[in-house]
Amino acid sequence: MTRNQKTETRNPAPRNRWGFEDLGIGIGLRTVHYAHILEQRPEIDFFEILSENYMDTGGRPLWVLDQVAERYPIVMHGVSLNIGSADPLDRDHLSKLKTLAGRTRARWISDHLCWTGVAGRNTHDLLPMPLNEEALRHVAARVKTVSDVLERPLMLENASTYAEFTSSSMPEWEFFGRLMEEADCGMLLDINNVYVSSFNHGFDPERYVDAIDPARVTQYHLAGHTNKGTHIIDTHNDRVIDRVWELYGRSVARTGNVATLLEWDADIPSFDEVHAEALKAAVHRRPEEDSRRGNAASKPGPSGARARLRKENVARAS
Amino acid sequence: MQAVIEQPGTADEAVVSAAARAELDPEDIGRVVRPSKTLTPVERVGVYQGMYLLRMIEALEGDYPAVAHFLGGEEFAELVTRYAAAHPSTSFTFNRFGRYFPEFIRETRGVRRKAFVADLARLELSVTEVFDAAVSPAWPADAIANIPQEAWEGAVFRPIAAFRLGAYGHPVNAYLQSVKEENHDHPDTGRKATWVAVWRKRYEVWRLEMSEPAHAFLHDLTRGRPFGKAVAASARRLQGSAGDQLFRWLRDWVAEGMFEGVTLS
Repeated sequence: MTRNQKTETRNPAPRNRWGFEDLGIGIGLRTVHYAHILEQRPEIDFFEILSENYMDTGGRPLWVLDQVAERYPIVMHGVSLNIGSADPLDRDHLSKLKTLAGRTRARWISDHLCWTGVAGRNTHDLLPMPLNEEALRHVAARVKTVSDVLERPLMLENASTYAEFTSSSMPEWEFFGRLMEEADCGMLLDINNVYVSSFNHGFDPERYVDAIDPARVTQYHLAGHTNKGTHIIDTHNDRVIDRVWELYGRSVARTGNVATLLEWDADIPSFDEVHAEALKAAVHRRPEEDSRRGNAASKPGPSGARARLRKENVARAS
Repeated sequence: MQAVIEQPGTADEAVVSAAARAELDPEDIGRVVRPSKTLTPVERVGVYQGMYLLRMIEALEGDYPAVAHFLGGEEFAELVTRYAAAHPSTSFTFNRFGRYFPEFIRETRGVRRKAFVADLARLELSVTEVFDAAVSPAWPADAIANIPQEAWEGAVFRPIAAFRLGAYGHPVNAYLQSVKEENHDHPDTGRKATWVAVWRKRYEVWRLEMSEPAHAFLHDLTRGRPFGKAVAASARRLQGSAGDQLFRWLRDWVAEGMFEGVTLS
């Protein structure tokens, strides 16, 4: 047996384009869980951080992050890259992003296929793109630039969208497929967002997940949402619905096990409750791949199972 | 689309606003945005428009909890709406969005108890700035003993980056503390001169309310005034035997980690 074969026995060769490993099942690092994580050191495969929360501070958030990164694998997820905007790329943002990735030894960096503002403004929302040839060329060129600056491939997530432009000429899955080929980027496939957008725009979510090149998927997102009847809002404030779990299982059957993360950003319950919800993903993952990884956290957990930081200032008597 | 999203009011009001009209005739929105089976084009854009100001309000509620508490939800939301129109976010982070809020309050008509609210906002901005300031290791408490006798006169004390000192016209620290403690028996908010230092120690933000002479001495020291001159100025203010008091203050402030070091001439 050669050395390479031995390695493969423990960690099945990743199927994705860049060889990024399956990190297992993780959750987002959130302020309300800081104390629990630092004190209890829970067993969890990885954490995802909201990049912007740690890029403009020298205080407690970064101190906590350093300790978390010391113990757990970190992936970085951003909300302000503004990749689809007509504005120039924010070089200060990119520079800080790169510095943070080095500091945390982030496995990869992701953001969203969207625009967040024009004319120098940031709406702090993930606004929908017109899905046409012009936008495709524009975004592809910018993705290449970002990848060059960051010196690593960029992963883009499909955002939940609530509006479509009449100028769109292709479905989102086709746009993504062509973008990933053209710009050589990867995809953070948010299954909940596929479901939310399919409801809002009336497309078949299975068609979406079936169309994505499995070799480009490096991470999954799962989350809860709010169904308003006429439309669904991606609120990250609840458990994952069964239909989204089904879609996830369908996609995993194509991609194999890929790092999977549960987002819970509003009305956040305890760490254990969030983690238990995330661990439901194990049911849909391939046990033979997990057992070869020796991934303890991928065992099913108990069944039934935001970007703003809080200041923790303490007043002292005068 | 952005011009609509940033407007207050309903989606129907937003699409006919002057800013939105400058980009797109309201009649033409259906030529840009598709309807869904359940929502019109205006309603679909309205989903984003409805969330925009909520996000801005939530962000400033995080930075200015005492101002939000004092004004109440409706008045605070109305103030943030006006603020967001005057100072829209231009950064990748929300951390910087509220930096002009105290100044905006001071210059805006119609704010209830404006002088107090502006003062309170200024203190809360200090807390935010200190929370996020760069790390600068604190000077060890016992290092003060190592300053040679002859060097004290010209010694210049350097505050840590996470340090702010403010003079206020109202008891803002007491009010902020009552909000933090969820104590609804708030202190009197009438005019009263107060002085507050805000700094970070072991990644926690601390506030210290102090007397006017202590503030004056600390102000001189943290603005780079040589120790000898700062002491002389304080001695004149205290009219006499100030030496022991000034040294006790300095020793306490050093022990609290307010300084990163001292430059000896």
